[in-house]
Amino acid sequence: MIVTKRALVGALLCATALGVAPFHAAFAADAIKIGLTGPYTGGSSSMGVSMRDGAKLAAAEINKNGGVLGRQIQLVERDDEAKNEVGAQVAQELINKEKVVATVGFINTGVALAAQRFYQEAEIPVFNNVATGTVITEQFKAPDYDNNYVFRNSAYDVLQAGMMVDEALRQGFKKIAVLADSTNYGQLGREDIEKQLAAKKMKAVAVEKFNIKDVDMTAQLLKSKEAGADVILAYGIGPELAQITNGMAKLGWKVPMIASWPASMQSFIDIAGTNGNGVVMPQTFIEDKSVPKRAAFLDDYYKAYGVSKIPTPVAGAQGYDSIYLIAAAIKQAGSTDGPKIRAALENLNTKVEGVVTTYDHPFTDKDHNAISRNMVVFGKVQDGKIVYANPDDAKNASTVRVKEKSSN
Amino acid sequence: MTIFLQLVASGVAVGMIYAAIAFGYQLTFATSKTLNFGQGEALAVGALFGLTLVPFTGYWLMIPLVLVFGFGLGAVVERLAVRPAIAIKSEYGWIMATIALGIIFKNVAENIWGRDDLPFPSPLPDAPIEIGGVRILPMEMLIVGGALLMMLAVEIFNRKSIWGKAVVATSNDIDAAGLMGINTKRVITLSYSISAMTAAFAGVLVAPVTLTGATMGSVLALKAFAVAIIGGLESGLGVIVGGLILGVAETLTGFYISTGYKDVPGLILLLVVLSIRPVGLFGKAVIKKV
Repeated sequence: MIVTKRALVGALLCATALGVAPFHAAFAADAIKIGLTGPYTGGSSSMGVSMRDGAKLAAAEINKNGGVLGRQIQLVERDDEAKNEVGAQVAQELINKEKVVATVGFINTGVALAAQRFYQEAEIPVFNNVATGTVITEQFKAPDYDNNYVFRNSAYDVLQAGMMVDEALRQGFKKIAVLADSTNYGQLGREDIEKQLAAKKMKAVAVEKFNIKDVDMTAQLLKSKEAGADVILAYGIGPELAQITNGMAKLGWKVPMIASWPASMQSFIDIAGTNGNGVVMPQTFIEDKSVPKRAAFLDDYYKAYGVSKIPTPVAGAQGYDSIYLIAAAIKQAGSTDGPKIRAALENLNTKVEGVVTTYDHPFTDKDHNAISRNMVVFGKVQDGKIVYANPDDAKNASTVRVKEKSSN
Repeated sequence: MTIFLQLVASGVAVGMIYAAIAFGYQLTFATSKTLNFGQGEALAVGALFGLTLVPFTGYWLMIPLVLVFGFGLGAVVERLAVRPAIAIKSEYGWIMATIALGIIFKNVAENIWGRDDLPFPSPLPDAPIEIGGVRILPMEMLIVGGALLMMLAVEIFNRKSIWGKAVVATSNDIDAAGLMGINTKRVITLSYSISAMTAAFAGVLVAPVTLTGATMGSVLALKAFAVAIIGGLESGLGVIVGGLILGVAETLTGFYISTGYKDVPGLILLLVVLSIRPVGLFGKAVIKKV
């Protein structure tokens, strides 16, 4: 084995600087710790649990095949309860106490924004696999920061908002009503939708707001109806989106609804019941067995957790992929050193076969979003399941969509 | 016009939810000048308990069992949190104690039923009924009817039964009632029991419309508190009127002004009432002789 002079000097420097290096060496064969954080309880838990279970499945597969760098992956799970302050605490615990080499997770944009600064400061890569707020990957963007440690493999809001607006126009709707919840998530999404409309020289006929746990949408819906809306673009999470469809049923006013992706949450399906049928939303993953890799993933998931449906399929698939991406980066870096993993992620040489897509150079130093618009399809609620909204997508489901070079 | 009526109808349904919870505040305040700040949690625990029973008993049979459960829960709250505070004549001990008990109930509920929000099976069909162009869900009618029936039942109990008369006597003058041989301590326990019972009942009434979970009562209880203050903490009629005012104000503001300001008029009304008529619209002005 040839050891370069520089590497030797580097190692020596490290050893002197840290003083504890010899102890580290003793743990070299230990498991690689990766943080896994999300809301496993509360209103967004169906997303969090699906994400966690997907990630655990991926880690188990990798470990069965010999792990990474000859070491096993150990996931350190922490519940952030969808609360910003808990998320920040969890981040510090994972970094300082558990000494994770990377963290995957975050369902809620607010939690991601509150927690990921600790990873940025500690120079540990943090991987958003569900949260969609556009600002997430821009929080530590160049030129204000030398390196950005925040990565993502979910469809971010600008992308989703653009798709929602385009879908409404494609179907020939002219009068668009926008309903959004009053959280960070909903209001940032509403802003994105309004910007997209403005770019097309259009204006929503009604822009309404609702609160989390609101049970009555009469005022919002009547305003949209009076404004002559022929379609509703709704930005929110499962329960409140369901209250919108139920409110429409109550008022006997039924127009198509194009929702943000959480309309695929189990809670939406449960509360909306038959009222939810026909609601469409952007999805990176549909429970569909036409691709062998996806079929295997679904079978394993159903078997491992004794279910017949992933509560939130998108979250499960993205959680699964995020672990493979991190593992590939650690392997390429040949180290669990944060900056090296980051550099490897920004220049992944191997193709990573995930269930959402096959990732071919998913990130660059400027682009930290793995998902591009062509990878996202519209899903539709149909009798308690999410299916392809467009027949063409269903037919072409077996073609794996690869990231467009020019996008993002 | 139809729109206005539709808004009012929806507002009434929401308002009656608030009123049903606020009614519980009013019951205990009348007898002991104390409130259960854990009313929202009592509502949530009642609904969760009901959810557990539904598969075995069905919706309608579950209700009396939940009422019994709520009755017991109220007695526990009074014994643990309120009685010690009253005994040492603490002015505010019961505030902390009922809040603390509420938190404990919430945590216990989270441990038993989990922190997920669970759907509650609806006993009535989901299809709305149309009356003169206004569309109302059967469940909303059940909420309004159920809440009114519950308040009526409590009022009849207070006026007709011997125990009820003791409650009224204690509300009017606790010292005189004590001198007349009424066991006022027990009356206070009873009022807490009835109060938690109404909260648990409100819980199973609203659960099919909302979701069931340990935190389902947090927003509702806060709104109900505003209702109790607007209507007057000592008046049963007051909380109904207060609830309707707040519910209708919310939907009307949402439509005619902006859905972003939906909660504002209720709060403004609260401030106005507090500054002009601190005892509430229907409250009796109390002259405290020192």
